This record gives sequence, structure tokens and C-alpha cells, in this order.
Amino acid sequence: MATRFKPDETFRDDFRYGNSETAILRFPFPFGEDAYMYGVNMEPHTRPGSAGVFAVGFDVDEHYVAECAERAKVLALEPGRCLVLPHMREAEWDTLELIMESLAADYPDQFTLERDGLDWTWTNRPLGIHHTFRFGDATTLPHPPFEYIVRQAQGDFTLQDQRDGTLYIDGGVATVPADWSLAFDVGMTFHEWHGPVPLAHQAGVFDRALQYLMRVRYGHPARRLNWTMTINPRLDTSPENYPLWGPDRASLTAETIGDRLFLRVELQSFFRLPRSNALLFGIRTYLASLNELTRVPKWGRRLHRVMRDLHPDIAEYKGLTRYRELLVAYLAQFDDGAPTAPGITPDCAALSD
Amino acid sequence: MTNRPRYAPLSPFAQARAHLLLCDGAAIPDDAFAPGHGLTDFPERWTVAGHALVMPQPFGAPSEQRFRSASHLLALLRHRLAAETMGLRIYAVGSEPFVWDVAKIAREAGMGREEMRLFACGAPERRVACVHCRTVNPGVTTTLVTCAGCGAVLTVRDHFSRVHNTWMGVQCDAEAPGEVPPVEDLCA
Repeated sequence: MATRFKPDETFRDDFRYGNSETAILRFPFPFGEDAYMYGVNMEPHTRPGSAGVFAVGFDVDEHYVAECAERAKVLALEPGRCLVLPHMREAEWDTLELIMESLAADYPDQFTLERDGLDWTWTNRPLGIHHTFRFGDATTLPHPPFEYIVRQAQGDFTLQDQRDGTLYIDGGVATVPADWSLAFDVGMTFHEWHGPVPLAHQAGVFDRALQYLMRVRYGHPARRLNWTMTINPRLDTSPENYPLWGPDRASLTAETIGDRLFLRVELQSFFRLPRSNALLFGIRTYLASLNELTRVPKWGRRLHRVMRDLHPDIAEYKGLTRYRELLVAYLAQFDDGAPTAPGITPDCAALSD
Repeated sequence: MTNRPRYAPLSPFAQARAHLLLCDGAAIPDDAFAPGHGLTDFPERWTVAGHALVMPQPFGAPSEQRFRSASHLLALLRHRLAAETMGLRIYAVGSEPFVWDVAKIAREAGMGREEMRLFACGAPERRVACVHCRTVNPGVTTTLVTCAGCGAVLTVRDHFSRVHNTWMGVQCDAEAPGEVPPVEDLCA
């Protein structure tokens, strides 16, 4: 079934946003059991037989057109949110090729890539784009190649250079960041940019994750899920603009929390790039309100248990402390104490009201 | 665990054509050097005199060269490294902002992390970059600082950029204006 886009959605000011029943049922719920702790939860991406948001390299959903408009808005206001160091030029073209090939193969009705040697023609029907350009010649595109293609994709992306036995974050776009700054973090090693995360270092999570990532091969992408929470369907929760969105955390009430508090899930995907040997991270963000998620009974029960028992250091790092008590009290009504089945799937064909 | 730089006491690299030690003029504590090592292991030393009566030789033979200020030293280090060939190793000892200034100049000259050793000492002092307005606030010795650019009271995250030589400053009372935690000295 063709996706019906919702171009009038907004992620700031009046916050016009919502998920269809289809979108709720395919939401990448991040909790496979009733408790949460950091782990190296990486697995192969785009395995045959994968469904929903896991089926393709770069998922295009009903929010695509609106999210691309939001990205254009952020980049118009803060061009520094897209930043690639000069030695990553080849990785920019690798990224453009990967995303164009994936979208054209996975959504042939929406995207077409025609190649005649180095002369490529790209058609993006949802955004009304039709360009002929020369692959490898940045003067034939209206933006640098990385920026050009990420303006036509949902979620943030970062480019990692692999050298000295680690990964350096040497470029990216971060208009949808969960409280991290690309401009500040650029040039850091994998361990440096993850420095502020609590508990996981001691557990060896980053050491093992780095080893896994450095072995990701071309054609064999990997993925993991990460999560936090955001008040309002606000995509731009950057530290740069924290003075603008920080007060939201103190504004929730028992009456508003169900509609205004969103579980924010990052589908992180990791692709080896063929020419540069760089690693592309996709950080695709999905938002669903508590009221949307609790229409899946299993998720309602589980969300209550996870939030109730969450380690306080994780709650603090994710910014939940100020409203956590309110959150747990609200979710209690969805937890009848029944056991939950393992795994993240909704395990229901239709949603409850 | 945080993204806070850690430093190992200095000793010369075993394999190198030449060694250059850079100091910011502050007293160098004994623990800046690994056991059995000291200043004399670094025949070429640059340091800061703090007055303008000196005229250092940036291409001098092994000796101590005295510069007028840290800025003067760093400008001539850039000049020196632009003319260097393979095999030089550099070492920096002094305040944290100073040693990372040295590292930045070395990196811009094409040196890798494995070609330099740094040791920060003295009373803690940080450059704090306001993530909201981009102003860099130098000489910060406390856990909170009022940003000279936008006036926000910044809390300093345990997050240091070796590329920018700054710590990340974030408004401490953004969620509840006026809710400012007590200020503490970084020495504490």
C-alpha cells in the first residue's frame, strides 16, 4: 500500500503531528523485556524476512515530506548543523550513492535513479525533485553531495573515519539530535563523543561496540535501537537550542502527559562505504506519544515497568528526572500485572481505543 | 567515566630524530615526568618568560629558548612545524588550555596524536564554549560560569573537545529559570 504523506505536520511552534494506526503498529518499540540496561544490542540490518521499519536500509514513512521540510528549516536557520571535514569528500559521494540506490530500489514508485556512466538523473517524486548531475562533480549539485542527499532523507547521519584503531566523527548532519552537538563533537574519537554516557563505559559496552563497528563490512549493515523521551513532537532537541525546549520538561501535568510526552526512538544503522572505507551512521528518529503507544496493551504494561525500575543515572542522563514520578504514576493504569511476551513486537492485530 | 582528558607523566619517545618540550612558564612539578626522567631528557626546551626582553630562536640548536608569552611561543611553533620534517616529537607541559593549544598547532601541521605527549598541571583552568551562543569563555576555574556572550549561567559538562580545546557549557537553569546549583571550585 502506498504511503500517504502528511506534508502539513510540524515539529515546532504549533506541533501538528500524529501517527496513523499503521505507523503505531510498525513503531520500533525499543524494549524487548520489562527492564532496560545499556548493552551492545547490535544486529544485522536489512536481513531477508525483516518487516516494517527494519525491512529496508532507509525507511520512508508518512512523516517523510514534513521531516524533510523541518530539516530545510533548521539548515536555513543554522547552516552549521551540517558539517563535513575536508578529508571526507569521497565519503560524501559514497553516502549519496548508497541512499539514492537504496531509496530507488526499495521505493521504485517514489524514487528513480538513472545512470549513464557518471551522468546520473535522480527523481524524488514526494519532494518534486528531478536533477541531472555528474557523479563526483560537486559543481553540478545545488548543495555539497552529503548535504544534498541528507536533505532528502529522514533522521540524522554522521560520517566516521576509521583510523588509529578507532572511529572519528568527521562529519554529519544533526538537525534531529537528542541533545548532542555535532559542531562540538566533530573530530572526536568514538570513546570521546560517548564520554558523557553513564554506566555503559564501566560495563565495557563502548569497547565492544567499537570492535563490532570497525568490523562492519560493505553490503552488511548493522543496526541497534536507542531511546529517550521528548516533550512535544519536537525533532530539534539540540543542546544549541536547549534554552528554547528545556522549559517543556517542567510543564507536564497528569492531564497533558499522555498527549505531550513522546517516546523518542533512534533506529541507528551502520553502513560501510565502498570507496572511502568510512562508516555511515544513520540515526533515524521515531516519535510516538504515550497515548499512541499504550494503545498496544503489551507496550503499555512494559513501558510502566521499564520506567518504574529504570536506573536513576540513566533517567538523569536522558533528562527524565524532573517528570519521572508523574510518568510512572500515569503509566500505572496500563499495567494490570499480566506477564508480557518477550520481544518488541506489538503482538496485536488492531489497536485498543 | 567521562570525556575528561587524562595525562601520563612525560618521558621521551624511544625512537625519534629530535625532541621539543614546550612549557607555559609555570613551575613544572616533579610528577610531570615519569620516574627517572626530567627536564634534561629534553635538550630543546621552549618556555615563556613573561616579558618582551627576549628574542628566541625558533630554529635554535638544543637549548632553552624563552618566549615573550604563550601566544608568542605558539605563533613561532606554527612557523617551526611548517618547516619540520619527519622524526620530531613534541611534548607540552603547563595549563590544560596551553597543552591543547600546542596539540592543535601540531595537528594542523600534520602531526598525529602518536607523535606528541601532553601533561596538564597547575590549578585547573578551562576554556568553556557556550553551546548556545558559541562564545568561548577563557580561564574558568569554577563549575559554573556566566557566559560573556549571552549571559546564561553555564554548567560545564564533562565533555572536552580536543579539536576546539574547549569544554561544553550548557545553561544550567534552562528547565527552571533561577534554579542554579551551588558554584564549586574546580580544585575541590
